[in-house]
Amino acid sequence: MSQPAGLSFEQAPQFSLPLRFFLTAPLFLIAAAILIALSPDALASRWTPQVLALTHALTLGFLAMVMLGALMQMLPVVAGSPLPALHLVARISHVSLVLGTAALMTGFLTGKAAAYGSGVVLLGVCFAVFLVAAATSLARAVAGVTVNGIRFAVLGLTLTILLGVALALLRAGWWTPPAIESAINAHVSFGLVGWVLLLVVGVAYQVVPMFQLTPPYPPRLSRWLAGALFALLLLHAAAPVLPPVAARIVDALLAAGILLFVAATLHLQSRRRRKLPDVTLDYWRLGMASLIASVAVWIVAQAWPAWADSDAYPLLLGTLFIGGFAASVVNGMLYKIVPFLAWFHLQAQLQATAGSIPTMKDMIAERWMRGQFRLHLIACVLLLGVPFWPQLGIAAGGVLALSAVVLWINLLSAVRRFIAHGGDFY
Amino acid sequence: MSISAHEILVDARGLEPPEPMERVMQTLSLLRPGQTIRLLLHREPFPLYPILAEHGYRHATRMEADGSYVILINPADAAGGQGG
Repeated sequence: MSQPAGLSFEQAPQFSLPLRFFLTAPLFLIAAAILIALSPDALASRWTPQVLALTHALTLGFLAMVMLGALMQMLPVVAGSPLPALHLVARISHVSLVLGTAALMTGFLTGKAAAYGSGVVLLGVCFAVFLVAAATSLARAVAGVTVNGIRFAVLGLTLTILLGVALALLRAGWWTPPAIESAINAHVSFGLVGWVLLLVVGVAYQVVPMFQLTPPYPPRLSRWLAGALFALLLLHAAAPVLPPVAARIVDALLAAGILLFVAATLHLQSRRRRKLPDVTLDYWRLGMASLIASVAVWIVAQAWPAWADSDAYPLLLGTLFIGGFAASVVNGMLYKIVPFLAWFHLQAQLQATAGSIPTMKDMIAERWMRGQFRLHLIACVLLLGVPFWPQLGIAAGGVLALSAVVLWINLLSAVRRFIAHGGDFY
Repeated sequence: MSISAHEILVDARGLEPPEPMERVMQTLSLLRPGQTIRLLLHREPFPLYPILAEHGYRHATRMEADGSYVILINPADAAGGQGG
């Protein structure tokens, strides 16, 4: 008898648990887009209240929202180890992430300490509950390259949250941590590279070969890459106390490690078995191209201090990494996860055979996903101009909002088909 | 899909998940007494096994020299089928 490594009906969380995360996420993308469109003048610097609010709408409300939901679904499958008390963990972390992100955004926009305070408490509850559950699951997990990547990503998330709480307390005027600038840099690099990128790396080992029918990632790369990038991030955070030469070498290795992952992914995708058009593949390729551009923009800043000190540099880097890379990959993956789960739960509940339920590909119309990808692509291109011409924010935010609305409609269309065929959320 | 008196061949090599599973589920309803489904796949379909069992079918899996898999599927109550 073979070891059942796949998704079985008994192991899988009920559809409503991850789905609530996936259906809430586009709403925060819409909120971020509206902030961009309404306040182009505020887009000239990364420190304005609007930019801080919209950045956290994107990272917490959109990216973390989808990633937490996806991990709840994935851990039983790839690690053979579901989250303990899943119903409770999902409900608490979802509600507190939604309210906490909204409160934090309000805190940035209004400057009210009460809003920061409640945002910090709610987000603290969300991530404490989720991280304890994820750590318990990972401690019992079956070892593998994906689990390894997820472990480092969860560590990265833990550091991001601790630093974020410290920074929020500072902003609320409750506490002044030492070395503020280093703390902000570490918060950003652990959040974006330690959590977001390492999670994408770990998940890519699983989903790129499976859904894009490519050969597996070379084990020589997949075994050590996540751990090496995490170690380099720790050294990067310690850069202020390192000799300048050592800090340069750490940064160069970090850039090389990220580019190695991009090169391996693009190479595998060029060797896929069936060369059929696929929106998710296009999203991945846009994401990988943006990641290359992020590394390039960052390297230029290391060599050219005037660029590094400009207002445009961090905005451009953030746009490329968060919008071009992370949001693209997450958006593309939503188009696999939600239709797959809708199909999977219909199949399980109805014991269906013989075309009585839609196939996974029928769940969301291809034409609509393709249209939404084009809107997202246009939004990304327009956003790249915003750091240089903030007035472009009106158009960029408008197109991004439209793209997020169509994403939401597309995800809802899969849910509508699920309900129309007798699917039950429990 | 090719059909003979004893066998229905489903070649799902290179199809994106869950298309191989969808094809097997569609083929199950076409299966007549004494027939077996011969499924060809590029990887081992672990998620399929519990679903087949729930529907009352059993399977026998063999790995080919090229690393692909052959899975023979027939009703669990049929006499003289392939052993798992």
